[in-house]
Amino acid sequence: MKDAELAALAQAGDREAFGELVRRYAAQARRLARAVLEDPDDADDAAQDGFLAALRHLGRYDPDRPFGPWLLRIVANAASDRRRRRRVRRAGQIPPTLAAPEPAPDAVTDRQGFREALLAALGTLPERQRMAAVLFDVEGYTHREIAEVLDVPEGTVRSDVYHARQALRERLDAWKDWRESE
Amino acid sequence: MSDTSPFDHRPDSELGDALRSALSAPDDAGFARRVVAAADAELGVGAGPYWQVLGAWARPALVAAMLVIALAGFWLGVALQRAPVAAGNGVALGDPLTAADTERLDVPVLLAGDESPPSVDAVMAVALEY
Repeated sequence: MKDAELAALAQAGDREAFGELVRRYAAQARRLARAVLEDPDDADDAAQDGFLAALRHLGRYDPDRPFGPWLLRIVANAASDRRRRRRVRRAGQIPPTLAAPEPAPDAVTDRQGFREALLAALGTLPERQRMAAVLFDVEGYTHREIAEVLDVPEGTVRSDVYHARQALRERLDAWKDWRESE
Repeated sequence: MSDTSPFDHRPDSELGDALRSALSAPDDAGFARRVVAAADAELGVGAGPYWQVLGAWARPALVAAMLVIALAGFWLGVALQRAPVAAGNGVALGDPLTAADTERLDVPVLLAGDESPPSVDAVMAVALEY
């Protein structure tokens, strides 16, 4: 069944239809939220907030347009809101330099180390660049669809993807060099 | 990695795989169940279409309506039972007039209670009393 049909059923109160939509987009929504929020539990909470907000506003969804970008826009907003609230709450408690520490080069010694390094590199990027890179290179959305998700012009998305890729590739290439030298 | 330009309009599969691996969380199915449960709790998604919701409320609504009707009937019955009693007693409106009439009737009785004409003191006492 198509997303639009499921959305119409979910709006009419069909629990199974809503559950199917959640199952289809759970992984994407969680990854997008995780790109914005460092804490995995926070990310899951934001993704859940996004799904529930989407359910409440299903009446605003245009069934002639793809469901994914519409949903992920709501999830992105939920994640950004949560991150903003977290930042306000933590302000004055933890210095920003300690909140997202750069891992030492020698800490990148295995797959887990690489994963942490990549997440740390992602964390240094502006929020919109992170989301643009994840939506483009991981989820396979087009620049136009990402522009819809992030509510920015398409050219801005191209620029964001470019800058994010540059920063992330440096990290990835450093790790590959290290692995080849072992 | 090196064979893909940052300007490339195609997704970078290697970077994409690395990011997917780093960002993916376990147990998507469990997450989906939690979201559906939260929707059930907060929004009543599991209640079904509106006619099912209305159907579920029909029986309690009928019982409540019958209770209201029974209470209203009881109250009306009590009110009707009390109404004739109150009218028989002539309490509400008639009291002051009746009381005044009764007292006025007392004056001639007082003054005419005896065969002989009342004394001046008795007349004065009655006049002062009124």
